[in-house]
Formats: sequence, C-alpha cells, structure tokens
Amino acid sequence: MSLPERQTDVGPPHFEKFLPPVIKENYGKWKSHEVLTPGTMVHTAESGDQIHTVRIASPRILATETIREMCDLAEKYCGGFIRFTTRNNVEFLVSDKAQMDPLVAELKEKGYMVGGIGPGISNVIHTQGWVHCHGACTDASGIVKAMMDEFHEYFTTKTLPNKVRLAVACCVNMCGAVHVSDIAVVAVHRKVPAIDDENVGKMCEIPTVIGSCPTSAIRPNPKDKTVTINEEKCMYCGNCFTVCPPINIHNPEHDGVAIVVGGKIGSLRTSPKFSKLAIPFLHNEPPRWPKVVDAIKNILDVYAANARKHERVGEWIERIGWEDFFKLTGIEFTFQHIDDFTFMRDTLRTSAAFKY
Amino acid sequence: MEEKEIQDEIFAYLEKMKGKKKLKEKDIYKKMMADHAELDKNTVKTALRAMINVGKVMYSYGGGASSVEIPSEEYLKEKGLI
Amino acid sequence: MGKYKTPMLDELEKGPWPSFVTEIRKAMNTSAMPEMAEDELGQLEKSYVTKKGYWKHGGIVGVLGYGSGVIGRYSSLPEEFPGIAHFHTYRINQPSGFFYTSAALKEICDIWDKYGSSLTNMHGSTGDLVLLGTTTANLEPLFAEYSSRGWDLGGSGSAMRTPSCCVGMARCEWANIDAMGICNHMTQHFQDELHRPAFPYKFKIKVSGCACDCVAAIARADLSIIGTWKGDIRIDQAEVKKYADGGMDIQSEIVGMCPTECMTLDGTTLSINNEQCSRCMHCISKMTMALRPGEEKGATILVGSKAPIVVGSLISWVLVPFIKCDDEDFALLTELTENIIEWWDDNAKPRERLGELIEVKGMRPLLEAIGVDPQPQQVREPRKDPFFFWSESDFDK
Ligand code: HEM
Ligand code: HEM
Ligand code: SF4
Ligand code: SF4
Ligand code: SF4
Ligand code: SF4
Repeated sequence: MSLPERQTDVGPPHFEKFLPPVIKENYGKWKSHEVLTPGTMVHTAESGDQIHTVRIASPRILATETIREMCDLAEKYCGGFIRFTTRNNVEFLVSDKAQMDPLVAELKEKGYMVGGIGPGISNVIHTQGWVHCHGACTDASGIVKAMMDEFHEYFTTKTLPNKVRLAVACCVNMCGAVHVSDIAVVAVHRKVPAIDDENVGKMCEIPTVIGSCPTSAIRPNPKDKTVTINEEKCMYCGNCFTVCPPINIHNPEHDGVAIVVGGKIGSLRTSPKFSKLAIPFLHNEPPRWPKVVDAIKNILDVYAANARKHERVGEWIERIGWEDFFKLTGIEFTFQHIDDFTFMRDTLRTSAAFKY
Repeated sequence: MEEKEIQDEIFAYLEKMKGKKKLKEKDIYKKMMADHAELDKNTVKTALRAMINVGKVMYSYGGGASSVEIPSEEYLKEKGLI
Repeated sequence: MGKYKTPMLDELEKGPWPSFVTEIRKAMNTSAMPEMAEDELGQLEKSYVTKKGYWKHGGIVGVLGYGSGVIGRYSSLPEEFPGIAHFHTYRINQPSGFFYTSAALKEICDIWDKYGSSLTNMHGSTGDLVLLGTTTANLEPLFAEYSSRGWDLGGSGSAMRTPSCCVGMARCEWANIDAMGICNHMTQHFQDELHRPAFPYKFKIKVSGCACDCVAAIARADLSIIGTWKGDIRIDQAEVKKYADGGMDIQSEIVGMCPTECMTLDGTTLSINNEQCSRCMHCISKMTMALRPGEEKGATILVGSKAPIVVGSLISWVLVPFIKCDDEDFALLTELTENIIEWWDDNAKPRERLGELIEVKGMRPLLEAIGVDPQPQQVREPRKDPFFFWSESDFDK
C-alpha cells in the first residue's frame, strides 16, 4: 500500500478548525464563569451565549481505545468537541445545556471521575518514569495512581482552603513543574555514580563530561582515557549520566524520592514561589509507595486544618513560619534541609526573631 | 562559490571532525565563513539544509545536545537511500 | 491474562483513580503490534520488582530532513522483551489550547494503531500530543500519514520546543491577550527552528492569558508571555452586593488579602485605588461576576525559567513590563522574541539555557541587545553591593 505524500513545516492544524461554533462566535468576548460542581462550569459571553464544560480525570497515559470511547461520548452529547487541559484533564465542551446532566451521568456510570475544578486537587502533573525514560529512578505514574486513589475525593467533592497542585518527577531533570508545586515528589539519587572506564573512553567526549558537572567534581584521567569523580563534591545530580551513559548514576538500593512543598505558579496575592524541601528521602516502595502517600496526606491534613481560606500551601507556611511547619507536621528537620548549594545565602536566617 | 563546492567542503569538514568533536550547525557556518570571506550564513545554511533533506548529512542527538553528522550506513538503509 | 504475571502492576488496577496499567493493557486490543504493550507491561513489572529502569539512553532516530520530534528509546533487555526493543516516542505538535474534534482524534488513533503501540500521553509536559512506542521502520510511514493530514512533528533536542498556552480567549474571561493565537503564530513562525535543532540548547515559549498562569509559563519557559492590563479594574457594584448577600466575607477574603492594600469596602460598595494595584488577579479570580481587568491589554515578558539542572531552578525574570499584543500577526512580540533568541544563540555555550546565560552576563547586555531601558519593574529591589560596571556610554548621560 502506498503512503500519502509527506509535507514538511506545515505545523499543527489551526485551532479554529476544532472550536465549537459558540466559542468561535464569542472568542475573546467571555464575561464571566460559574463553577456549578467540582466537575462542571458554565462560561457566559457578553452576548449572553453560554458554554458548559464537563471535566474528567485522565491517567495521562491513554490507550487509543479509551480516547475513542471519550470521542464517542463527545459525539453523543456535544458535537464531538473535546479538549485537554494543561494538567491533562479531559474537557467536554457542551453547547446545549440540556446535554450536560446526561453526559455527567453517563460518564459516572462508565467509571470516569468527574471533577478537578475549584479549590481541591486537580490532576497530578507527572513524568515518564520506568514506563519510558532511561533516567527514571522511580515510577511517576505508579506514585500518582497510589496518591490519587487516596486523595480522589478532593478531585470529585471535597474542598481545601485553595487549590493544591501536586506533581511527581522521576529525576531531577523534572520534566514537569515540580519545582513550583504546592506538594511534589521528586526522585533523587544518594550515591556517587559508578564509572565504566572502558566505555567512557569509547562513547563520551571527556571535556563535555567534565564541563557537565555543576560542582566541578569530575577530573580527567588521561592515562586510562576516562574520568574520576571526587566523592566529596558530587551531589548526585546525574548530569554527567545525561551526557555520558557509561557513568551510571542508578543505584536501586539508595535511590528514592524527596518531598518538596510550598511552590506556586500564579502571581495571585504573592509572587510565584519555588517548592522547598520538606522530606529529604523516602525509599521506593512499589507498587503503592505507602510512606510517600502517608507523608503527603499528613501535610495535606495539617494544611487543611490550619490554613486560612484562599491561602495556598506556600502562603500558609510563610505566614506561620517554617519552624512552625516542621512542628505542626512533625517532620524531622535534618542537615539536608539546610542549603549548602547555590541558594544558601538566601535561605539562612538573618534575624534573632523566630518561633519555637 | 557554487552550492556543490560548499557542500563538498562541509562534508569534508564533517569527515575530518568525526569522532573528535560534535559539530553544531553554527560551528559549520563559522568554519565556512572563516575559510571563505564571501560566504554568508544563509548561503551556507541553504547548502547544508539541502544535504540534510536528502540524507547526505543528518541531525544527531547525544549527550543531551543535538549535532550534525554524516549518517551511518544503517541509517541510510533504513531510509531507503542505499 | 497475557504473557507475563504482573502481581505488582495488577495492584495498580484497583482503586478509584483511572489506572495507567489498565490503559497499557487496553493498548493490546487495538495495536497492530500488541506485543509492544504486552512487553512494556512485562518490563515495567520487572522494574517494580528490582526498582530499576530498563531503558537505554535515546538513540539517533528521526524522519528525513528533521532533527526533532522523535525520541529514540530502546529496551536494555531486547531479548527478554523483544516487543519493546524499539519503543520510540513520536511527538505530534498539538493544536494550540489542546482543542480537538472527535473526528480528528479518531483519525490520529487509527494511524497510531496501525504503526504504533496504541499508547499515548495526552499530553507531554511541554504540550505535544505524545505517541509512546513505535519502531524505527515505522517512523517514515507515520510522518507521511500524519504530515499529509496536517499534523506536523513537535520539537526536541537543541531546538525551539513546541510552544504551548492556556485556553485563553477561547473560554476564559480573564484572557488579556490572545494566548492561543500567539501560540499558534509562534509555532508557525518558528517551524524551521522547531524541526532543525541548530540552537545551543532547548528554547521554550509558553503563553498564559493572565497572572493565574494556567500553563505555568513563569516556571518552565525560557520565554514566558503573560497577559496583563493597564487602567482601572472594572467593577459592577450590583454584583459585588450579590457576593456579599451570598455570604462572601468581602472584607477578609478580598480586601484583607489584597497584597497592595489598595481596596476598601464601604457597606457593600467596593473601591480600588488602581494606581496602587499590582494586577495580581486575586480579587478578580474570586469575584469574577463583579470584577474585570482593565481595558488596555498587553503582556508582560519574562525570561529564563527552567528546571533545576544544573545549578538550581529558576523562575522567569521580568524583561519587558508591558508590550501590546494586538497588532497584525503579533509583529512587535515576534520581533522581540527573535531578538532575544538571537542574543542567546550568539552568546550561549552548548547546553546553556537563556536564564543561565543571563546569570553569566547580567541583564544589561540582553536589555541593550533588544533596546529596552532599565526599569524598576524589572527588579524586586536594586543591588546591595557597591561593585558595579560602567561603560563609556554611561558617561555621556
Ligand atoms: C475558579 C476559577 C478558575 C478557573 C475556572 C480556572 C480554569 C482553569 C483551566 C481551564 C485550566 C486549564 C487551562 C488549560 O488547559 O489551558 C486551569 C489550569 C490552571 N489554573 Fe486555573 N482557573 C481558575 C482559577 C485559577 C487560579 C485562581 C489560579 C492561581 C492560583 C489558577 C492557576 C492555574 C494553574 C497553575 C493551572 C495549571 C497549571 C499547570 O498545568 O500546572 N487558576 N485553570
Ligand atoms: C536538563 C533538563 C532535562 C533533560 C535532560 C530532560 C530529558 C528528557 C528525556 C531524556 C526525556 C525522554 C523521556 C522518554 O523517554 O519519554 C524527556 C521527556 C520529556 N521532557 Fe524532559 N528533560 C529535561 C527537562 C525538562 C523540562 C523542564 C520539561 C518541561 C517543562 C521537559 C519536558 C519534557 C517532556 C514534555 C517530555 C516528554 C514526556 C513527558 O511529558 O513526560 N523536560 N526529557
Ligand atoms: S524527569 Fe527525568 S527520568 Fe523523568 S522523564 Fe524527565 S528526564 Fe526522564
Ligand atoms: S552526579 Fe552531578 S555532581 Fe556528581 S559527578 Fe555527576 S555531574 Fe557531578
Ligand atoms: S492563565 Fe488566565 S487567561 Fe489563561 S486560562 Fe488561566 S485564568 Fe484564564
Ligand atoms: S488585582 Fe490584586 S492588587 Fe489589584 S486590587 Fe485585586 S487583589 Fe489588589
């Protein structure tokens, strides 16, 4: 069978082809919206026209069979108009209001989770993990599944003081937005990489390998056409592994995850914030990572009980102070919490006023 | 310079550097412009792109960064070019 | 069921949240190569047991003429799991705002079932529609099928990465700029830079319509374009009263949480000292029926954000406080973008992101290169130390 003629540099199709007529007509002329339930909302335009949205969760990894099933539902209830959100939820764009409730009913009947809107927990931004990436030192999808089995009510019904954005990254490259999430899991190494001397010489450009190390821990070893690593300087970032595979950073015994908290994207009230270290290390415990889930549940519960309405996790912690955060959550404060890398100057305390 | 001549020189340069240094497009522009004052970036770029389009030269990826290389026989077979 | 026993993964098919394991299993039903999803499950179960991944570093694969869009992936245990000896990623550039019709999606699925594993990521964290798992031999057929239907590849490697945006004017009353229009325009404008990796490293563009920043532009784009406004927030006092009557404690929830303390409430009449407002979006997002952004719209341009590799993560810094984005083809914004990229491309070392380059060189050379004056909006506070550079041009002032 012959293939169609390829084209280059055509880019993606223009989005206009995929907009429901009511959106096309009111593009840029929306006036307000109302969240009806955690899974439904209605946007109203200046003209008075309305579009109803129904949002469902997705595991992000989707089989084409599931996509087709969603498409069938979209055809049945909303003219086939369907979109995805930046957090990997799926949205049905319903122009005929009467179709919304039956759509929700059928979605629930089929086992889909309707929700994700408003002050709760939306879908979890995450990365490839053992499912697909060579760098992964945990499985992102597995942790997400275990977490959300526990927290799903915050997606569908329960609310929190404000949105809590969760994320999971399977290595410090963080192909997500872990460094600015309310609560996030990031996989970390704790051991200096092992060097396969013979292959380093064959496969890698030595100057590039040396240049890749942020702490200048890597020295050339010209005699054996390889490199050596200064154990005292290495902080296990894995960048040398990225540029040179024979430098193996993986160590299943010692790899695991850290939990970071208090990051924020929006500029609402306070500036965007980085997430900061709460728990330096928990072991990988597949398939359900119970200690990770418990640790997050603890932080969530303490936040829910103590934060003021509209306060994000990071805003709440800044108001009460980090010393109180550790006290309230019972999380142990360790040497690892004190920055000794690029941000040390900004993070040590420079005042005699603090709490116990 | 004729496009063909430029392409031959690019190819020779890539062959010479093979296994020594991974070249980026920009390294090739710089080298060609240094050797031939009359050449500008766009002329070299056009010549190089024409080579890439037919698989005489290819983009490669390794060590976290992209570079330009002479394709392996395996690649050429895969693309039905030899 | 299937070739492998997967007790660990079976555990993840239980529970209410949708299961990715179930999805991998379902892929066996539709793919022309069901052994791909099957062996993926087998290998993944092994990872769950040993706590170790079994993928090799990406290899050199792609479609003729392009250097981007395909990520090579090979199992390190091809004999044990031959179905995933090749398991490459094919990144389709998504339509701006992730809008589809069922017909378009089904067509994408049909082609993928024929040439791939039937597994997808909807979507990758950069924005692409990610097709997960195909062979080297199937790349050219996939490209012919998709590109002929108008679906091009996205970016990867040292290239412009696929731009991405929030839903913007299509369905959000807070959009100050046409986020989807800008995203689509940038994607089309930079096709060459997207597909042919000639940059020092990756370059990401993300566009959000307002400071809520639903696409996380400020945290994960070298160039973050965020909608904003000038002028007065529009207030509908009747709607303010409705919020009060509905039980909202406007004094503490809105006025009391305004970061610049520029709001006052008199009974149920709300007033804003707009000169003092920092346009943070708190009040508007909580009282969308009553408050609307001012009418002079534009964008704030911030640069430099990235994940922690290598010397720590960065959140983007303000470069241009306000730029209009309503001209034909976003010409002002496009020119600014080109100038920023040119400065970076000319100065960066390999694998140096824009934010890292600015850390090395300082903001001044970039500001001079793009012809933007220093302004207090660009800093949180002025410098503290007395060590600063002068150049000849400063003495002429
Ligand atoms: C109730 C009012 C709101 C509605 C209806 C709303 C709507 C949305 C929508 C539709 C998305 C997906 C966007 C897309 O796919 O392009 C989204 C994502 C997001 N929204 Fe909002 N939004 C609201 C309020 C806010 C507020 C107040 C903030 C800031 C605190 C915020 C921050 C975000 C973020 C950070 C994301 C996703 C970013 C990511 O992917 O990590 N939103 N929101
Ligand atoms: C130096 C830092 C980074 C390196 C070396 C890196 C490397 C990689 C690698 C090797 C993969 C392939 C995974 C697979 O086989 O599917 C990948 C996937 C991906 N990366 Fe990164 N990455 C980095 C940072 C980021 C960041 C900060 C983002 C986004 C903000 C990002 C977005 C993506 C996306 C969208 C994918 C596709 C799969 C997914 O969505 O999870 N990367 N990256
Ligand atoms: S976070 Fe690391 S391990 Fe995970 S997909 Fe990205 S590069 Fe791979
Ligand atoms: S892991 Fe990071 S710190 Fe350690 S040697 Fe490699 S590059 Fe350097
Ligand atoms: S960033 Fe602002 S304009 Fe865009 S979808 Fe979010 S709230 Fe709306
Ligand atoms: S936008 Fe922010 S700063 Fe401006 S009035 Fe509202 S809450 Fe205050």
